[in-house]
Amino acid sequence: MKTKSKAAAMFLMANILLVSSACSSGNETKSNQPSDNPSPSAASTEDNKETAAPDGKKIKMRVITITTDENRNNIMEKFIKPNIAAALPNLEVEFEPGGGGEDMANKLKTLNSSGDMPDVFWNDAGYFTPLKNTGSILDLTPYISKDGFLDKYAVPDALKHVDNGIYSLSSGADTYFTPVIFYHKDMFEEAGVKVPTTFDELIQISKTLKSKGMVPAVTPGKDGWGPKIFMLQQMIQIGDPQAMADLVSNKTDFNNPSVKEGAARIETLVKEGVFPDGIANLDYGPAMEMFTSKKAAMLWMFTWELPNLAKDETVDFFPFPSASDKYDPAQTVQFWGSPVNGYAVNGKTEHPEEAVKLAEFLAMADALYFESTGAPISLQTGNQANDRSPLMQKFVDWYNPIPNKIASFALNSLDARTSAEVSTQGANLLTGEYAAEDFNAAMNKIWGENTWFNK
Amino acid sequence: MNKYFSTKLSIFVFASPALLLFTVFCVYPLLPEIWMSLHKHDGFRNLGFVGLDNYKDVMASPSFWTAHKNTYLIVAISLLLGLPLSMMLSLFMDAQTPRFRRFFKTAAMFPAILSVTVVAQIWLAFYEPNWGLFNSILHSLGLSSWTHSWLTEKKTVMPSIGLTFLWQYIGLNAMLFYTGIKTIPKSYYEAALIDGANFVQVCLRITIPLLQNVIKYILILSTLGSMAFYSHVRVMTAGGPGDLSRTVIYQMYYTAFDTSEFGKGTAIAVIFILECLLISFIIQRYVAREKLEF
Repeated sequence: MKTKSKAAAMFLMANILLVSSACSSGNETKSNQPSDNPSPSAASTEDNKETAAPDGKKIKMRVITITTDENRNNIMEKFIKPNIAAALPNLEVEFEPGGGGEDMANKLKTLNSSGDMPDVFWNDAGYFTPLKNTGSILDLTPYISKDGFLDKYAVPDALKHVDNGIYSLSSGADTYFTPVIFYHKDMFEEAGVKVPTTFDELIQISKTLKSKGMVPAVTPGKDGWGPKIFMLQQMIQIGDPQAMADLVSNKTDFNNPSVKEGAARIETLVKEGVFPDGIANLDYGPAMEMFTSKKAAMLWMFTWELPNLAKDETVDFFPFPSASDKYDPAQTVQFWGSPVNGYAVNGKTEHPEEAVKLAEFLAMADALYFESTGAPISLQTGNQANDRSPLMQKFVDWYNPIPNKIASFALNSLDARTSAEVSTQGANLLTGEYAAEDFNAAMNKIWGENTWFNK
Repeated sequence: MNKYFSTKLSIFVFASPALLLFTVFCVYPLLPEIWMSLHKHDGFRNLGFVGLDNYKDVMASPSFWTAHKNTYLIVAISLLLGLPLSMMLSLFMDAQTPRFRRFFKTAAMFPAILSVTVVAQIWLAFYEPNWGLFNSILHSLGLSSWTHSWLTEKKTVMPSIGLTFLWQYIGLNAMLFYTGIKTIPKSYYEAALIDGANFVQVCLRITIPLLQNVIKYILILSTLGSMAFYSHVRVMTAGGPGDLSRTVIYQMYYTAFDTSEFGKGTAIAVIFILECLLISFIIQRYVAREKLEF
């Protein structure tokens, strides 16, 4: 019996060894110590020798970037893929689709958790903090100062995070992204309505458009995208820009009457039929399709879609109309972007210098693309500025002189939990079955627990 | 030969690889999960021991109970509506000529082999409130007052998603029932016919009682499958609007990944594992306990 027990124990032990050896990563000898501020000097010479592919083999790099909108796909197909082999002949780059929004955030959080971060990735304010806390994002300052890439930016300070580090490289086009109302001029003419200048007029023309069998306006509402990204901010600031600026900087909360009125305006829009039935489950693609196929007369969207929409000559845009004397669309506007949005480098990459070069190449590809559309950018490409489409010129002429540019609430005020809950509560508001009062009460509780400003 | 294979040692030796894999991949991961549920954890860093606070917090959240209500609604739809319909479909198939039977078997299996994403996209088009199939039919029948924004209204969103789930798997269950029916000896039916039994009597007295092992298997499969309901919700509504269509699994995912509260997310997981174990135990204990031999 004893012999049998021993045999059984030996067999089990052998199995355990087999499984544990199969489960090990094989990278145990490599250092996985996180570092908040890795720099060129932090990488040992021996490591560099080992990773510089002395045998002439190409260095493998993994990139994850946004793949959900037409701009991103155009950049990949027309500017990155055709040029990367010539620009970076020592690299073999594998691109992995990242999706966008919460999907992209969750993918990167999961990869970070499992220690499988790509060498280069699209960084976003929504998931920057956990990546920084775990040393998964490199401070690019020493690298881009040394190779002169920093000098290509018109405003280098705009890249700096509050800790003075530079963590992401972008084309700088983000600063020029703002939500506007795109509309089909011919549909407005057919319905006999004019561009509204007040919130009440917006409701009124929506009723007229609806009575003519048109969908007045669309915007992506699924998962609370629209309310979180811009709608709540717009509805607050068209009544009281100062209240919105205060909310972004945590100087007020959801008890502020002007903030409460913002949520109430969303409830009004839904109940008055400005949006189609089912707006709370309308995804980005279908919302765009409803507008471009002229099922909907208006599209509430950021100007990142302007280059594509400008191809249709019937499309024009107007700023969000005013809901009080405190707001003037020529004086106040929301701007997108954050210094941490852009291409970033994994703080634990084995090839930091090559990865930074790759991030620079990708940022430049972005800049070349946006430049080709006539969009303003802050990363100088060295090319002559292209002729802008009339719609882009109209936008630049309106946007540039605006003195009061309020940062985006979604990117600059919310920790992960608050961000998710704003999406949840915002989607509730779009159902028309949820009162603005309930929204404000729920948001005030969540806002009180927001840790974004604790840093 | 048998004397070697019937010893405890040989049973242990042959079962140990499977037991080991089960332990490594199913039991072992539970331990860090339980540990994490007792800590404040953001997915990257342990922010300290909090005892049972995570459990208290998740159980105090209305979304947790909404998710439970939705999950058990799906279980109820699957069991109370799905199983009887699957059984009826299998009896119907059995009564067909071989040619029609082949057709129905293929048709019944077809939705089950489609990917959830494909099925969800098809049904999203059906439910689309402005141009979707269902509302268009209702409008054309003059029943406009019956139209709904199926996936954004509180009272219709979960039944709508549940119907999609039902449609996809009803045929699969019917095939399992049908396979069970084919194992029942024909002589039982012949004897019943001679005694003058009609179709309903044959079903109630012979087919269903002799299918109890198959019923038990499908019951466990359907119950646990419905409790793990996630993919349809993810594609069709992303748990929304708000938290209206979140299931427990979705709420766990949302809490852990969207809000970065992994401690609370794992607390939901631990609670849900206990629920699943309890339900499996009840089914094992009280359904089809007698051994059937025929």
